[in-house]
Amino acid sequence: MNLLICLCELKNLLRERLLWLLVIVTVFLSALASYNGHQWVATQNALIESSEQEQERALATSKKGLVERLALKQPINWWDDPYDLRGQAFYLLVNYANKPSLPSAAIAIGQSDVQPSFFKMLVTQKQAFIHQYEVVHPLALLIGKFDLAFFLIYVLPLLLIGVSFNALSQEKQSGQLRILMLQGLSPLRLLFNQLIVRASIIIFPLLLISVVALLLFSTSISLLTVGMLVFLILAYAVFWLALSALVISYGKTSAYNAAVLVITWLGFVVIVPALLNTMIVTLNTSPSRIEYVDVLRDKSDKVDRSVSKVMAQYFQDHPELARKPPSSKAAEEGNTSYSIKRIAKITALEKAMLPYDDAFQEVLMAQQNRAAQFSYLSPATILQTALFSLSGNGLMRHQDFIEQVLSHHEALRSFFRDSIAKAHERGDFKPCEGCVPRVTLADLSQVPKFSYQEERSSTSLNRLLVLLLFAGIFIFQANSRLSEMNRSQANSALV
Amino acid sequence: MLTLTLKKEWLEGRREGRTLWLSCIVLVLLACALLSSWHSYQQVQVQKQQVEKSERERWLEQGGKDPHSAAHYGVYVVKPDTGLSVLDPGLTDYQGVVLRLEAHKRNETLFRGIQDAIQMQRFGNLSPAFILQTLLPLLIILFGFHSVAAERESGTLKQLLANGLCPKRFFIAKTLSIYGFALLFFVPLVLYILFTLVFGSSITAYRSALFLISYGVYILIWVLLTLVISSYSRTARSALISLLVVWASTCLFLPKLAIANAESKFPTPSSQIFLSKLESEIYTPERQQAITKFKQDTLDEFGVKSVDELPFAWSGAQLQFGEQYADKVFDRLFGQRQIQLDAQGFHYQSAGILSPFIALQAISMSAAATDLPHHVLFSNAGEKHRRLMQEILNGDLKENGLTKKSDGESYQGDHQLWERIPEFSYQYPPIDTLAKHYGRAAIYLVCWLVLLMFLACLAVQRIKNEGK
Repeated sequence: MNLLICLCELKNLLRERLLWLLVIVTVFLSALASYNGHQWVATQNALIESSEQEQERALATSKKGLVERLALKQPINWWDDPYDLRGQAFYLLVNYANKPSLPSAAIAIGQSDVQPSFFKMLVTQKQAFIHQYEVVHPLALLIGKFDLAFFLIYVLPLLLIGVSFNALSQEKQSGQLRILMLQGLSPLRLLFNQLIVRASIIIFPLLLISVVALLLFSTSISLLTVGMLVFLILAYAVFWLALSALVISYGKTSAYNAAVLVITWLGFVVIVPALLNTMIVTLNTSPSRIEYVDVLRDKSDKVDRSVSKVMAQYFQDHPELARKPPSSKAAEEGNTSYSIKRIAKITALEKAMLPYDDAFQEVLMAQQNRAAQFSYLSPATILQTALFSLSGNGLMRHQDFIEQVLSHHEALRSFFRDSIAKAHERGDFKPCEGCVPRVTLADLSQVPKFSYQEERSSTSLNRLLVLLLFAGIFIFQANSRLSEMNRSQANSALV
Repeated sequence: MLTLTLKKEWLEGRREGRTLWLSCIVLVLLACALLSSWHSYQQVQVQKQQVEKSERERWLEQGGKDPHSAAHYGVYVVKPDTGLSVLDPGLTDYQGVVLRLEAHKRNETLFRGIQDAIQMQRFGNLSPAFILQTLLPLLIILFGFHSVAAERESGTLKQLLANGLCPKRFFIAKTLSIYGFALLFFVPLVLYILFTLVFGSSITAYRSALFLISYGVYILIWVLLTLVISSYSRTARSALISLLVVWASTCLFLPKLAIANAESKFPTPSSQIFLSKLESEIYTPERQQAITKFKQDTLDEFGVKSVDELPFAWSGAQLQFGEQYADKVFDRLFGQRQIQLDAQGFHYQSAGILSPFIALQAISMSAAATDLPHHVLFSNAGEKHRRLMQEILNGDLKENGLTKKSDGESYQGDHQLWERIPEFSYQYPPIDTLAKHYGRAAIYLVCWLVLLMFLACLAVQRIKNEGK
């Protein structure tokens, strides 16, 4: 019976031009979305590769020029000298911290277009590099990319509404339903078979295109990730189909169903997320970045004004640097050379700014936690969270990256701080009056290198289960209403 | 006729309770968005004024210092906002708000709001502009999709025509009733603008007029589009579907496709490439040669053999020469990148011919001074100020660098010198001088209106023919 209904439905559908149009739209848009995602990942990977190459080139150039530098007789400015620890630390270092894309990155561009995926590191206060960004047309960021996540969140429900809104209601309006029911067909069975056939026409091409694109272009992607994506798509589609079934079960006209479903789509996908976002930002207001500048300047001035206090604190924190007596040559420069002073000032400034940086971080995490709680209010926010997390382009992975970047920054600073102190102690920077400084960084590979450690496992399925739970409730409701409709029709037939 | 149509539409609206409810919800959302945006604007303005004031104080009170050290110390300048940014924040969160002006460097603006935002932000903020540009057209569609099609479907259209209904008046009455409904959403905006014009100075009448007129035209476009499609559709269902397809295409899909196309057609270099190009093109052997030549020319001009014999401090002259050398590279590289970004903007605006949303967005952001061209104007003004600062500080060093203090220490600038650097205060130019940035979009919006008026005439003719 079910097969017969499905075949009949398919036959009816094939006659409709609108359906073909929707299939073409699905194929075209899902292909375009997949293409855009993979293009973006390719661009990001090229950037990372180029930064790695630049780093390798700097290493090779340094190795190549070492002999020439060792033979140098002319004085050279330390800030121009790639073999001087100070020059490298403050000006010349080519040291990148990159966030590699996950194999599933093409699924959702997520936050990767607004958050930097690499930082060029120097020994400087973190405020000087952590706020860097990629300069693109800001409209592109406002509007966002047409990727698979956008297609799934916004377009898929519209397509599903487009194919399902007149299921059953069309038969009811034309009077066919009464005849079919007299032949023993229940409206429930008819509706569910209609929805399955109609949804398949949209979902199969979508799954086929997105999965094939992933397998073709992201060769290292795991089958588990692909399976997860398929599950996400199906769960989201089931939610919208269940909602359609519920609306249709009220037995109103097709136009009414369409209007209600579109309004629901508008509410769930456009209004609720925007409203939630505004609400979250209002409830947990971020500190002002404008005021942050003010504080940064003040703290920076204070650090500059109280150098002796800063140095005393610094040597208290790093007694190993203070204990060692300076060699006779180094003594000429004083124990606190420019570089050590500079590093001490950077450390002091970062320490002074820590409560303010933490305040931003705390608010961001509070907002994110609240967003996670509120995300249950809309299927779109549930899917967005899941897709961003699956693609590795969400906020939490970026936060992990930032934490690792800051640790690396600290490691770099420690390396240069200790090496400069040792070199200073040996008198390498000023072996004699008018002499060329000694080579203090012969091998650039000694400098700590950044390597991103994947920390979080991807998507949690809890939210999707909520989506399926709602779908279950809708189906149950629709089932009750349609059974009622069936009983009343049967009674009227008997009368 | 108009009164009767309005009465009928009102009755239908009451029967179709969902549309009225939705309208009320959207109106409340609009009021909330306006209040929240205004509150945040007020706070930000206070912060900006405070920071500007304390930054100026810091500059003036930095104490005795070598002028070049002061140039490195630099100043932070803050991007101004207009009162209309409350209605359309546009690209505010996607562009930096603070610019550091210092020696040797042309910096990018800092602190884009989006970098401190959660990922839910990508769904957009509930700003008044978002509601008017995206949600209001949808409300108009829901309110008017059945206007003519349902009359036709139910057969009442023929009855009305047989009773001597004038199709033209009928169409105009429908247009006015839906337009009147849509204009209700304008009330909070008009009140805000009037309030700001009367009690504040953050917006100008020209900008406000451009803003309101463009939205007025946009809303009329959607009303006409809804009625034209409703007039051409056999059933209310097909009218609704067609209108929803148009809405989704013009407000959701086309903007994404247009900007993606613009980016691929006019690519900009990545920051990594851009910055390394900046470094490699400024600090070149040619620069060193140019400095050597400048030195020799200066020595020749004064007929001396060493810079120590010059009547001024050579360091000041050399620093200024270095600045001017770097400025040329900045102008070229930043200019090249800006050409590409402008081309992307224009290319995106060209899609306004296919989407009134895109056309309106450009005009609205321009009127509110929240678009890229206004950001660039601020950024360029900052850069001009930076160059002026360097010129004054290097000039002072050149002039006075040879003088020693009584204790034999080298020359230091003082409060008097710091005061010679004017306070940075930027005001956006009048909107009519920026017509090249939004003129094309305005033409597209007018084209849409004219096209739809023409189609409306055809629709009236079609209705007339149905009565025959």
